[in-house]
Amino acid sequence: MATDPDAVDAAFFEQLRMHFSESEIVELGLFIGFNLGFHTFFGTLKFYPMFSPDGRLISQEESQRVYGAAPGSLNSQDVA
Amino acid sequence: MYQLEPLPLDAITDPELRDLIGKAEALGVPGSSFARIIARAPAHAKPFLKALMMSHAEGNVDHKLKEVIRIQLARYAEDPYFSELRSNKARAAKLSEEIIDAGSGDYEDSLFFSEAEKCALRYADQIFLDANKVDAELYAELKTHFSEAQIMELGSFIALHYGMQIFMRTLGHTAQT
Repeated sequence: MATDPDAVDAAFFEQLRMHFSESEIVELGLFIGFNLGFHTFFGTLKFYPMFSPDGRLISQEESQRVYGAAPGSLNSQDVA
Repeated sequence: MYQLEPLPLDAITDPELRDLIGKAEALGVPGSSFARIIARAPAHAKPFLKALMMSHAEGNVDHKLKEVIRIQLARYAEDPYFSELRSNKARAAKLSEEIIDAGSGDYEDSLFFSEAEKCALRYADQIFLDANKVDAELYAELKTHFSEAQIMELGSFIALHYGMQIFMRTLGHTAQT
């Protein structure tokens, strides 16, 4: 869905149905769509995780040093 | 044919969900078909339908601007379902197809839009076409036209509707025969 929506075709849905109920497929689709939208939006806000990898509450400045200059959001180049 | 067909209304027994489906149809967006597809998962469908309708039809950003943005995004997402839906509230407020098309085209040079509306349209299309362009400079420009609350309203609206449009795009493929 995020990087190649055309690949989510009828054959793909047949595969999904082998493993999940239709209710679960809807739940997955809503969850993925929601995260696709909001992670991309949040990426533009340039905020960083509130906790360090060892679980300490840290400032945005320290978080930027820990996690890098660019937040790890989905690259829009990969989105159709 | 959808990959998951909309459920018949009489198969949906949850009264709150039926009420939300009625509202989704009356507003025009997100429409009855999307609502009856996701009705398969009622516990998830209800908050999503509420959020979609509230973010679109309520709030402190002009509804007609949101409708132009929503259709711009649906066209970028290549989702025919949400591209073809129209808000009845925006129709009643005289939003024309000419303005809608201008919002999906060269809106920067369009006489239909104010500088604030052009900035909001740029915000919407850049988030998903090139998020790297949504930088401090663009946020600073947004703040000259909108309050921070309005910017968050716009961003959340854009994120939620675009995510659902991509989901609907995957459901819209014609099933193999």
